[in-house]
Amino acid sequence: MKKSFRKVLTLIIAMTLVVSCFAACGKQPAATNTPASPTSTDAPKTTPTKTPDATPIPTEPLKSEFSEAPELAAEVKAGTLPKVEDRLPKKDDVFVERVDATGNALSIGTYGGEINLGPAGGSWGLSRPTLESIIRYNTDGTYYANAIKSFEHNADYTVWTFHLREGMRWSDGEVFNADDITFWYYCCHLTNFDGKKSWAALKESVNGEDAWAVLKKVDEYTVTWTFQNPKYPADFIENGDFKWCWAPEHYLSDLIPNAGSYPAVENEYYKANTITDEQALANAQKKKIDAATVKDLGKAVSYNSWNVAGIPQINSFVLSTKEGNNNKDADLCIMERNKYYWKVDAEGNQLPYVNALHFNKTSDDNQTNLMFRSGKIDIIELAMDKIASTLADMGGKAYLRTFASTNWGSYQITFNYTSTNENYAKLFANKDFRQAMSICVDRAQVSELLSNGFLEPGQCAPSEGNFGYDADWEKKWTEYDVVKAKTLLEGCGLKMGADGFYDFADGSDLVIEFLGYDGINDTSYPVFEQYFKAAGINCAYKNLEVSAFDIEIDNNTWTAVIGPHTSIGGLSLKSRVAPFVPISQAAEWYGEYGTYYEKNGEAGVKPEGDMAKLVEIYEKWKNEPDSEKRDELALQIYAVHKENLWSIAYLQAAGTYTLVNSRIKNYADNLVSDDLYQYANIVHYDILYIAE
Amino acid sequence: MEENTIISESGATAETKSSVPGSTGGFFRSFWGAIVDFFKKDLVRYIVRRVLMFIPTLILISILVFFVIQLPPGDYVSAHIAQLATEGELVDADYAAQMREDYGLDLPVWQQYLKWVKDIVWTPTDSTYYRLYHSHHNWKFSFAYGRDVWSVIKDRLGLTILVSAVIMIFQYVVSIPIAVYASTHQYSPGDYISAVIGFIGTAIPNFIFAIILMYLSYKWTGNANVGLFSQEMLQNGVHLYNFGEFLKRMIIPIIVIGTSGTCGIIRSVRAQMLDETARQYTLTARAKGVSERKIVMKYCFRAAMNPTVSGLGGVLSSLFSGSTVTAMVLNMQIQGPVLYKALQSQDMYLAGAIVMVQAVLVVIGILLSDIALAFLDPRIRYSGGNR
Repeated sequence: MKKSFRKVLTLIIAMTLVVSCFAACGKQPAATNTPASPTSTDAPKTTPTKTPDATPIPTEPLKSEFSEAPELAAEVKAGTLPKVEDRLPKKDDVFVERVDATGNALSIGTYGGEINLGPAGGSWGLSRPTLESIIRYNTDGTYYANAIKSFEHNADYTVWTFHLREGMRWSDGEVFNADDITFWYYCCHLTNFDGKKSWAALKESVNGEDAWAVLKKVDEYTVTWTFQNPKYPADFIENGDFKWCWAPEHYLSDLIPNAGSYPAVENEYYKANTITDEQALANAQKKKIDAATVKDLGKAVSYNSWNVAGIPQINSFVLSTKEGNNNKDADLCIMERNKYYWKVDAEGNQLPYVNALHFNKTSDDNQTNLMFRSGKIDIIELAMDKIASTLADMGGKAYLRTFASTNWGSYQITFNYTSTNENYAKLFANKDFRQAMSICVDRAQVSELLSNGFLEPGQCAPSEGNFGYDADWEKKWTEYDVVKAKTLLEGCGLKMGADGFYDFADGSDLVIEFLGYDGINDTSYPVFEQYFKAAGINCAYKNLEVSAFDIEIDNNTWTAVIGPHTSIGGLSLKSRVAPFVPISQAAEWYGEYGTYYEKNGEAGVKPEGDMAKLVEIYEKWKNEPDSEKRDELALQIYAVHKENLWSIAYLQAAGTYTLVNSRIKNYADNLVSDDLYQYANIVHYDILYIAE
Repeated sequence: MEENTIISESGATAETKSSVPGSTGGFFRSFWGAIVDFFKKDLVRYIVRRVLMFIPTLILISILVFFVIQLPPGDYVSAHIAQLATEGELVDADYAAQMREDYGLDLPVWQQYLKWVKDIVWTPTDSTYYRLYHSHHNWKFSFAYGRDVWSVIKDRLGLTILVSAVIMIFQYVVSIPIAVYASTHQYSPGDYISAVIGFIGTAIPNFIFAIILMYLSYKWTGNANVGLFSQEMLQNGVHLYNFGEFLKRMIIPIIVIGTSGTCGIIRSVRAQMLDETARQYTLTARAKGVSERKIVMKYCFRAAMNPTVSGLGGVLSSLFSGSTVTAMVLNMQIQGPVLYKALQSQDMYLAGAIVMVQAVLVVIGILLSDIALAFLDPRIRYSGGNR
């Protein structure tokens, strides 16, 4: 297993090098250039600030006629569905899927069948394999226009223009156009009906006050977003939250109240309606949408709308309206093919290939595994220790797909740097203490004990193949040296007590209580405890249910954490800033420093020193239009992390492993699992097909 | 006369002094007469007294249920936010505060309790809830499912009752004959074999037994039979053509849950039967030449059923909830896993409703078993219902 893992890493490095070479050699496009989207003549290849043409792309012209699934052809013949040409955007605006997210050419598939998956999961479960967002990423971090045809910005980044695909339709056949964007923005988003008015992508600060972009409909298929200050890509098009900006006006307009909680926002497109909260709920009920409050209704229909049957989508699959299969909690939840989907393969076959995605509810991973083995489920994510036995049992009926991890190491611990107990706060602030806590652990033995030697010793640092990877960083403080650890601890002012454990200089006991949640670290903590205690650090472990854990963190009543809920690190700042910089009440490693930023200094603890430096660099990063300079700033942030190691990890990050039934084709390998890529979304389920 | 007196002492009250043992018509007439007499004289007063006891019992239970569910730190909002964070969606503190206000979770627990009870008992006609749902009983919304609590419960109620009833019938049908056989053939090979069979289900924890059977099913048939329905049934429903498949999928739950209860019934009925067969009235009946079959089935068996009948109090409740842990392991689409999910996500209205309904059913079940016992044993009636 270790060998195959190395192979994967080698592949990732090789891929990164190739990408870097291409990026370095490519031309820098003009600021106002429109990034090409993969239309009928072009495939995914560029962004406004990068030239990521990383992989050879087949460029043969699209054949003149479109074709469709036999089931849909039968409906057309019966007169219950318009012809495929009338369901797709106009020919130049159709999205052609030619390559997967790694750049490999796709096979032309065959229609039919269903892909069976495990349980749908939480609010986002159904969206992962189906959601179509504004832009779409490749595994190398390059991106291209996806649901929209293209985007561009003016020279000073104050105006962004979105061009839509002419003739594109919602899943119920209604035209998708600029009105759906203005409706979403003025009626769903700015009213906070979707509960997400806080999105940074559409917000800016003007004279110290929050201000929002002005959206204009230029024509049926063009809109502009205008800001008073420059709005750079990192804070707009690349912002991980900004996945969509549309809602079906024709379906939702009678569900949005204009009373009490959601007063209308003045705009030139929509007059204030007179719908009360109760009327909105009653209207929703008529559409079989159940909601306790208007707030719930808003989030359900204009945010996580894929979970509500009947709401038109532009996604590849839409939730079935059939009773019993029409909600994510159903025992069998069905996402049916979107008959108006706007993507085709290189031969003009309308996608998706399969008729439906079936989400099978199970109450235990072992059931999912058994169902996979018996062919009832086609794709499962599996813990590394179960891969070999499952594959052997399947006897060639399944294959392995690896997703590289963007985590910064496994088995992380971190400390409360804003602890109200001065002794602890002072001790944790001392880098020597953190070094001692790192080197007092024998990583090689930990690897054997906790991963059967599968994971290499490592540190809390970007994994190989990821942005910012640094071999020195990965090895920093990883030697096993208990004597040195003790010397460092004594250098921190700790005194050895009669009980064989260090005390604070004032004689008070030092006991580090590690918090964990949901039992995730119940088996790993004892392994670390023996090392900590051997080094003279008395420690204890408290496991809490995750919400109780979060409350302790929010209340700042904790000392240390093993397995943080919001770990430091990730793909990059582009994905999420909060794990890297103390700007919100989110990650344990910065505790109340993040609260200080989020509450504009009205609460929390003011960051100082390197912690403050992170915020300073982040402010520059946010306002930097140039992608390369932004990367440089991001690396500066990384350097501060390398210097401080506020979180310590003991082993390298574990990837994600997926087993796929051999009948499923076009499932790419060496993908990357990250929130920015929306996890399984990067698989592109629309292009998967079944070949028995 | 002598025979009748002995029978009466044994607790089998159906025989009256005018009845003639051995005469079937006479027996049924006297039996029916006893029922009518029982209902006329004692039962109304007895039931009224027990029903009045319901009210404070249920109030106490509802308080316990509501407060116990709220005991773990945090609430649904914190659990929900933690879940969102796991999925990569971060929300700020203001959002959480607003959610708590919307759901009324910012109120003191006692106020939440009073509002919960008040809305369940009576939601006025001029309320939004009544106008939307046309019901005076607002069980509130399930946070986790985003639907009316009662609609979530209703979804699985029918199947839960069906499955539990089938399993319960299996338990009694299997265990009572075995118990009778074991008691009448004490220390015979059959007695030992029945003891072994009976103990298997009890000795092996249900969840392990379930996993073992599922794995064996997978190994032998290539299908683990996870859940009560195949994917095809979940899409098209259960019909005559796929009913066989449904029955096949019932085998493992019946074996696992059914055998877990058979041991208790077998041992208690067997012990009771042995006790009764050693009584004087049995010896007398035997001495008078009454057939062994009649002695066992008509007298001993009837008396031996008392503990089993008193145990029926919990049956109604288990019919409603199903076997939670086993249902989770077997992925059965019944009420137990819903309760588990509700408790896990601190969905207090859903969990509260399920537990409350169970509590009501326990209380009703106990009443029914008490009535049955009072009918079977006059001493219970005469002592004012105190056992």
